[in-house]
Amino acid sequence: MSGESVPLALPLARFAAGDREATILFGELRKPLLRYLVSLGLSPDEAQDIVQDAFLSLHRHLAAGGSQDNIRSWLFRVAHNQARNHQSSYHRRFADPLEPAASLLLDNATPEHALLEKEKRRRLGAAIWTLADSERECLLLRANGLRYREIGEVLGLATSTVADTVDRAIKKLAEKCNV
Amino acid sequence: MCNFSGRLIAWLDGELPESEAINVEWHVRQCAECRRASNGYREISAAFLDCYLTAMPVGRPSRRGTSHKRWFALAGSVAAAILIAAVLLPRFRPQVLPALPVATVPAPSFAFEKTPPRMLAVRVRHPRAPQPIREQQWIAVEPTVEIALPADALFPPGAVPPGFSYIADIRPQP
Repeated sequence: MSGESVPLALPLARFAAGDREATILFGELRKPLLRYLVSLGLSPDEAQDIVQDAFLSLHRHLAAGGSQDNIRSWLFRVAHNQARNHQSSYHRRFADPLEPAASLLLDNATPEHALLEKEKRRRLGAAIWTLADSERECLLLRANGLRYREIGEVLGLATSTVADTVDRAIKKLAEKCNV
Repeated sequence: MCNFSGRLIAWLDGELPESEAINVEWHVRQCAECRRASNGYREISAAFLDCYLTAMPVGRPSRRGTSHKRWFALAGSVAAAILIAAVLLPRFRPQVLPALPVATVPAPSFAFEKTPPRMLAVRVRHPRAPQPIREQQWIAVEPTVEIALPADALFPPGAVPPGFSYIADIRPQP
């Protein structure tokens, strides 16, 4: 985990005018947002809708003269809150998306190694399922490259709380997976 | 338990201030327990990231409308629409009625004394009592326009007996 933020040095003042930078921003953040929303349990179609709504909200936000600081965490926060509104589907299949495809495990590996890897993935998936919601969300946002401060902005937590939550979650996973 | 163990993950994530990160890094080089723990945290983070990146169905085309259920529902809707149309359409089909016979009325046996008749195309009909309008009379085989002309506008006063009316029947050529 590098923890590096995705650079967003974009002239966002032109975003409200619907210029080319909007397309760049959309292309840069669309997939991370989709991946995060799907990992929360939303269907790909629901995630697509939420991402589009988030970018429409961003457009309105900037057109209304809103702050242009840290657009990435702003988008994640909007998408996260909209995903929260899908409470009925929020918990329904978090464990499933993190089950890797079997074909990915069999590439460049002996059958024994593939079997071991598959078992490790299965245990990791089960361990992730035992995490608290806040712990899981912190790890998912961290996997998207968000810094602790940005994760705190998305989830409405203090940066120190995020650090403690990530620390606790990683240690839980390590203990469950005997790492 | 080492005192640095609570800062290892933040150090791996690059979240510690620079001075503190240097201290942790120096400690990890000296402490086998923290080195082993940090390697484990790095491994579990990488595994989590790998699962996250490889298992998320991002970028896949939308599956809307591709399920068999949707196609069956669509086919059923079309079949139902055809069935309803087949049942209901004959009721609304316009009935073709036979052409109404033109009244064959013998010409009146009176002679014009002052002016000869000029409107030969105008058929003269006897006045009738108003007939109740039947619904089928509104549907004609071919369109017909009838224009009623007042007798006073065509003939001098007294030339036409009272009670007569004139109707111009216009039929467009096919």
